[in-house]
Amino acid sequence: MLVIRRRPGEAVVIGDGIEVEVLESSAGRVKLGIRAPREIPVMRKEVQDTREHNRSAAREIPLELLIPVLKRLGS
Amino acid sequence: MPQCETKYFESLNYEPGSEIEFPAGLPGFENCRWFLPLDDPARQPVLFLQSLEQPGLCFITVPVLAIDPAYQLALTAEDMGALALDATRQPVIGQDVLCLAVVAFGEDDVPTANLLAPVVISLKNGKAVQPIRDDVVYGCRHPLSLEQSPCS
Repeated sequence: MLVIRRRPGEAVVIGDGIEVEVLESSAGRVKLGIRAPREIPVMRKEVQDTREHNRSAAREIPLELLIPVLKRLGS
Repeated sequence: MPQCETKYFESLNYEPGSEIEFPAGLPGFENCRWFLPLDDPARQPVLFLQSLEQPGLCFITVPVLAIDPAYQLALTAEDMGALALDATRQPVIGQDVLCLAVVAFGEDDVPTANLLAPVVISLKNGKAVQPIRDDVVYGCRHPLSLEQSPCS
């Protein structure tokens, strides 16, 4: 992983047309501004993780394997 | 009574008004708004969320409290507005809302529950959201296994 130290107001560029600027930084939190071409999706990683988990949940699930595990929950 | 084709059950009739609506869809399924909650006494505590728009789409969910009895909601004011809830306090699970974790079956055959983004259904207006928490308290792929203690 490439590691770069930046201060608020400074930016990095990725490829042709993507720019990530540090807008604010405070204890434990950083505010980023991202400029990217419209066709490049930009989202929090948790959003992508949840989309992938939902897609996986939407596939055919072998109920005979899953239900016994779930029935044990909370019992 | 309207009829619905389902993924895991036969086609069935349902009471008008028992549908739930995700006005913004779910992450990855933004165009799917209408679902029918289906439970099966033989499969408690599982609740199936069957799409009314796509018969082949059905999410398997379990109440978050069955996975973690101490689970705390962290809805934003915007989410609470969409659910017609009092925005001055977090809703009470079971009283104001149902709170369900979507379950997936991973490639390594370990079922996982998404506690980072639970489905929250308003008991007041039948609307639902799947908001993604802004903290790092709960995981997106919480493993559910036979050996797992309920609230690790």
